[in-house]
Amino acid sequence: MKIFFIVLIFIFKNSFALEFDKLQTNSGISFWFVKDSSIPIVSVSFSFRGGSFMESQDKQGLSNLMTSLLDEGTRDLSAREFKKAMKINGMKLSVSSQKDKIDGSFQVISSQISEGFNLFYESLNHPRFEDKEINKVKNQIISSLKIDQSDIPTIASNLFNENFFGDHSFARNTKGTIESIKKINRNDLVNFHKKAFQKSNLIIGVSGNIGKEEIKKKIDLVFSDMENTYEIPKIKRFTSLAQGDKIHKISTPQTSVFFGHPGFERNNDNFFELRIANYILGGGGFQSRLYKNIREKRGLVYSIYTYLLSYETDGILVGGFQTRNESVNKTIKAVKREFDSMRKKGISKEEFENAKDYFNGSFTRNFTSTISIAKLLQVVQYFKLGEDYFKKREEIINNLELEKVNKIVSDIFKGNKLFFMIVGEPE
Amino acid sequence: MKLALFFLSLVVFCFDSESKKIFDAKSFELKNGLKLIVVENPRAPVVAQMIWYNFGSSVEKRGKSGLAHFMEHLMFKGTKNFPDDFFSKFLSKIGGSENAFTSYDYTAYYQIFPSKHLEKIIELEADRMKNLTLTKKNVEIEKKVILEERFQRIESDPSAQLDESMRSILFPNNYYGRPIIGWKHEIEDLSYDDIISFYKEFYSPHNAILVLSGDITFVKAKELVKRYYGSLEISKTKKNINLRDPNFKTSTNVELKNKNVKQQIWKRIYRTKSYNDSISKALALDLGLKILAGGTSSILYEEFVNKRKTFSMVGGFYQGFSKANGYVYMYAIPNTEIKGSEISKNLETFISKAIETKITEERLNLEKKKYFYDSIYGMDGILKPAEIIGEALTIGLKLKDIENWNKKLSKISLEMVIKELSEFNQNNNFVTGNLTN
Repeated sequence: MKIFFIVLIFIFKNSFALEFDKLQTNSGISFWFVKDSSIPIVSVSFSFRGGSFMESQDKQGLSNLMTSLLDEGTRDLSAREFKKAMKINGMKLSVSSQKDKIDGSFQVISSQISEGFNLFYESLNHPRFEDKEINKVKNQIISSLKIDQSDIPTIASNLFNENFFGDHSFARNTKGTIESIKKINRNDLVNFHKKAFQKSNLIIGVSGNIGKEEIKKKIDLVFSDMENTYEIPKIKRFTSLAQGDKIHKISTPQTSVFFGHPGFERNNDNFFELRIANYILGGGGFQSRLYKNIREKRGLVYSIYTYLLSYETDGILVGGFQTRNESVNKTIKAVKREFDSMRKKGISKEEFENAKDYFNGSFTRNFTSTISIAKLLQVVQYFKLGEDYFKKREEIINNLELEKVNKIVSDIFKGNKLFFMIVGEPE
Repeated sequence: MKLALFFLSLVVFCFDSESKKIFDAKSFELKNGLKLIVVENPRAPVVAQMIWYNFGSSVEKRGKSGLAHFMEHLMFKGTKNFPDDFFSKFLSKIGGSENAFTSYDYTAYYQIFPSKHLEKIIELEADRMKNLTLTKKNVEIEKKVILEERFQRIESDPSAQLDESMRSILFPNNYYGRPIIGWKHEIEDLSYDDIISFYKEFYSPHNAILVLSGDITFVKAKELVKRYYGSLEISKTKKNINLRDPNFKTSTNVELKNKNVKQQIWKRIYRTKSYNDSISKALALDLGLKILAGGTSSILYEEFVNKRKTFSMVGGFYQGFSKANGYVYMYAIPNTEIKGSEISKNLETFISKAIETKITEERLNLEKKKYFYDSIYGMDGILKPAEIIGEALTIGLKLKDIENWNKKLSKISLEMVIKELSEFNQNNNFVTGNLTN
């Protein structure tokens, strides 16, 4: 049996500080790492700034098609051989394209580290992009777009993005359109692949059963060959978010509604104040005002929620619900009323304290698996929240002031800035 | 603390051998029949609590479909000691998360929360087994919510409507043919009295399995569970008859035409055996189905997506964790509109040939290996072990069956897999569906 390094994971039971190592590879890539020998798994979470917003309008869906092809064969292995090798080594790889970045996770069973990381390297650096696999995956994306066309909440979500973001590139569907997918060729994929995987845009978090020196070598193996030649454009702020309502008629017994409102970028000094407000409005599951007043008291919906979409340069608040055609208008009115009431009357001391307690207590739930720890390490670096974030976080929350939260709520929550995308047959 | 964790790592590491118990769970039974299962995992100061009731929509009387699921919603409405939303509010204040789900054979509630609040959470879950204080108004409003849920899940989704119809044909006798959420007209007629008598009859310690996973010791769990569940009384639950369905002499094709549909989908559901009938036969069928139709390296995928290029996706899976029959679900998404009957014929012809010639030792070993690795991934977290154990026990399996799963897995031979697949291929108990515009 192998001898294992001493466990270096320090999760203190009564505080919330997660201790990690900040490591740097020989080639200069730095990443955060938590050693965890309690399970024979290594989990890597990685992210590249960039993603779908870098596509040209007529080739939208390119980034998603590129990432979908990463497990469809490498320079040495056919798609079939690659998938078989993944299975043999207990390896999981998932890479997905988002509006502002490409997110990925890689996991391997400890005993297969060497084979697993080699496959990881091949897949990110030398994808085959073979024509027959390109056509196959294109067909799959087209099928999925066609399925989306009869799925009412997906139609509503896509139309919401299209209308709410206006002329911003975030208005586009990351999957692309049937027409744009057909236009993409192998050259587009090869070029985009190079642009998308730039070392300078890379962020990595790792957790699991592997030594420091070994993981440094493995990270170099996978990422050090990547180029540093292309500077991605900065994502523009949302200057033309839509307001009011828009209706798209489709025959259905239940209407799907998405709504949006301006928010904050993740690094905004008042992000946590907004996060508290959102928790109370619609983010806090069974405790939110929207849930209590619209579902629990009136039974108008099965689910109603809001969440913050906070990017590096800007952010929005998004919400959604579905309701029978005859109750669409009264539900929209009720949502508007909740916005108004937050702005005019603010939130109560009790709501404020409950929300703070929630954010303090919920953080440790991130520590229950190697992949969730790796992801947390990655996200904290992505948003540049600081090396001391795990210590600082509790302090940030405890220092929040009710008056300040209410001031921010009354400054930014404006009924007339709400936009509702309504898909169905509202009466 | 470092030392403790180091020991833990040694213990879990013996995992490498396939004969080791998977979860090393400890169990205990109270006099009133409540079963406790504990999976100790002190990695993070967090616990997952799941209570599994061994009944679901299966125990509803005729005409009362949707009752078990309705009851699940109402379990959040407060008790004598902890009124209104005390439980949810407490849980959210400590940073926990919660939810619940109802299936044919079970109903489960779970919370994930910081371990220092263990005692209160155990108390709150125990309390609502007996002390719910429902009002007619609770029931009336929640009925509206459930009808909205039905409209969201089924009435506005053509594919879900087709599935509902196919199941009702596949199980003409067994309760599996009725939707868990209930038929719309029957949900509308459910009354306050229906709810109360259902609650009194079924919510009882002898119908429950409590699974605690995470930062908790067996000793502590036992002490708390005795304290809060020990005095709960056993209800008189009528024994439910496990109905089986007749063999079909006819074949049924169902079509759902909806002008919103832009992509045709072909589906087929087979009525099969379950893990309750035989673990090793069900495992052999599961492995066989994985080889034949699971994921993007299956035999079907290689033939119809890679080679013939007629489908953009094709696949299937086996679900055998049920008290009575299990089922196999297959689907195909064609690249261009093809007649449903033609898809059926092409798949049938090919599957018969594939079972004879393409099920190899190499493929079987690959699937076994993946299965084994997946059991390791399942241990990386605290909810998954509770889910796996809870589901298996409620349908009637034993803890030792689950702990020795990998041993059973390693004994499945190629002959067993081929035998199960051949039987499956001869199975006439299926319904074919076609979603089109």
